[in-house]
Amino acid sequence: MPLLKIDNAELEVESGITVLQAATANRIEIPHYCYHPALETVGSCRMCIVQIEGMPKLQVSCNTFVGEAPPDKKIDEKYDMVVHTQTELVKQGRKNVLEFLLLNHPLDCPVCDQAGECFLQDYAFKFGNAHSRFEEEKRVRPSEYLGSQIVINQNRCIMCTRCVRFTRQISGTGELFVQKRGYDFKISALEDQPLDNLLAGNVTDICPVGALLSTDYIHKNRIWNLHEQPSVCQDCSVGCNINVFYQKDRIFRVSPRENHDANGYFICDIGRYGFHRFEEIERMTSPMRRDEEELTEIQWDEAIKVVAKNLSDAKEKIVFVASPFHTNETNFMLGRFQKGFFGALPLIEEEGITYPSGFSINSDRSPNHRGMNDVCPSILEDMASEIDQQNIKVMYILDDGVDRELDQEWKEILMKMDFVVVQSYALTEVAESAHIILPGLAPFEREGTVTNDQGRVQWLRPSLPLKGKARPDWRIIMEVVNTMGKQELSYSDVGEILAEMGKCFPAYEGVSLFRLGDYGLSINGKVKSS
Amino acid sequence: MSDNNSHKDSFEYVNPDLVDNILSQYPDKRSATLPLLHLAQTQEGYISNAVVDTVAQITETHPAEVMDCASFYTMFYLRVQGRYILQVCQTLSCSLNGADALVDHITDRYGIGPGETTPDGKFTLMKVECLGSCGTAPVVQINNDYHEGLSKEILDELLESLQ
Repeated sequence: MPLLKIDNAELEVESGITVLQAATANRIEIPHYCYHPALETVGSCRMCIVQIEGMPKLQVSCNTFVGEAPPDKKIDEKYDMVVHTQTELVKQGRKNVLEFLLLNHPLDCPVCDQAGECFLQDYAFKFGNAHSRFEEEKRVRPSEYLGSQIVINQNRCIMCTRCVRFTRQISGTGELFVQKRGYDFKISALEDQPLDNLLAGNVTDICPVGALLSTDYIHKNRIWNLHEQPSVCQDCSVGCNINVFYQKDRIFRVSPRENHDANGYFICDIGRYGFHRFEEIERMTSPMRRDEEELTEIQWDEAIKVVAKNLSDAKEKIVFVASPFHTNETNFMLGRFQKGFFGALPLIEEEGITYPSGFSINSDRSPNHRGMNDVCPSILEDMASEIDQQNIKVMYILDDGVDRELDQEWKEILMKMDFVVVQSYALTEVAESAHIILPGLAPFEREGTVTNDQGRVQWLRPSLPLKGKARPDWRIIMEVVNTMGKQELSYSDVGEILAEMGKCFPAYEGVSLFRLGDYGLSINGKVKSS
Repeated sequence: MSDNNSHKDSFEYVNPDLVDNILSQYPDKRSATLPLLHLAQTQEGYISNAVVDTVAQITETHPAEVMDCASFYTMFYLRVQGRYILQVCQTLSCSLNGADALVDHITDRYGIGPGETTPDGKFTLMKVECLGSCGTAPVVQINNDYHEGLSKEILDELLESLQ
């Protein structure tokens, strides 16, 4: 393996990687714009220039490869390559590059949405000059829509072409191109093909400057006012890693978080803008009881007592309906009702898409189907006929939420019930047929673990506070179970439930929130308990 | 060159053999983008969206990649041009010998500025960089022909002779 020296660090690296990759992997900062690990290297921004001994000029580190030197050519008799990133020459080079990149830049950071997470801003501050020698008039061009949700501010663009390469290599849709050349060049979308694919939102993330902006976030807030919560997307079974940016009780933005074992670098627009559908819904904020046709608010104590009594009276003639939209912990808690049958509503399936880069949107639009099956006692295949055969009249449902549309078969099943308890965060179709509604948490309020279709357990972390009198779903179940009197459960958080889950299901043994961390754990290879 | 109103939805090369010949000269199809665009422009007079789509299909690239290329080179016309493209050289020798006056003269005569086309679609005026005939300045290239050592009078005669 070649021995590389970057500044004072001696690094033994694999042959064939680039200087920039070697530096980044070893936490040595080399500023760059056009290089993105998911995209083909073009070496056009020139920001990542470094000095390499034996080479006459500064080299772009993103496109200079490390290899083995013949024995007689080694530097200091041992190094295959010696790179300097902090010499005066490099510093001056960076200053010059930045001066060019900023020639026509409007310097409008105070009104720019990228400010605070802008590489142009950061690098100019760190490596640039405070002043420009450019005294002529700046080139001013209007902003344009590239797609229905993507705006480009042409004045801020530095022509790194990350977005263009994204549409060609990742989404494979090829809407963007570089129009004209030299002073007139700009990023454009084809007239008859605007940037409207389901991955389009990613171009706003990979844009290193404030040129590409999402209309969904533009002029809504400033990044330094927002809290960033690493979490997991709940819109399909891929389980993409995301960062949720929120302020108080409102989410402003969802952006992808890098995880090579789940989603790679990107997320789709379904997950990116999906949080909006929870904003307008009327939330359940208090337990409700149906009297005749009216729903009336009742106290928690009363609601739990009524539920516990009805469940106890029904003996074993109960169906507990688990949900692939809920966390492993909530579904596991449902299994603590030891007497009764377990079922689930039919899968919500829509068209699945796999892009040329391998990024996919699964047809199974529930986040935790695999996990639900893992941690719930045997779920009935044919629930409808079982209900008829056993003459079951009581049902306890974990509601899937606002995405669920009930089919006729299910409407009929619910009509036949004498007593239906629904744990839900909104008045969904399922909740409308309930005799008691217990207000649980909406997707961005939940905490727990979810297991994606590849068997990767990931930590779903909450970003919004509880609303009204709503309680965590696992806690509601625990209270009902305790009130029924046969068991005394006393979990104080999801971590304890997770530990208990590991004891019951060997696949989850040893899984803890601490071990899951930001990137999750794969439970494949472990024996799946039935 | 075709007439001005040829906004067609589809484009096909009249001579597929030429296309095959071009493709056979390159190791990968993408490399044939430039000559294919040239061939299309000779046939159509400009690069329409239909041309872009066809070239993309032949070279197995995205239409956006073909647009990258077509919009990069100033000699590919992305709009319909006049039957005669008057390209007035702007570089040193021609400029010193009165190229600007020739441009003004054409502008006065036909009411078109650089980059514009007469309403009847006959002439398009363009300013271009060095045509490489400095010894015979000023030079105007009309379509593929050079016209050298021009004055306003000779240019007038020349323009009138064009049909």
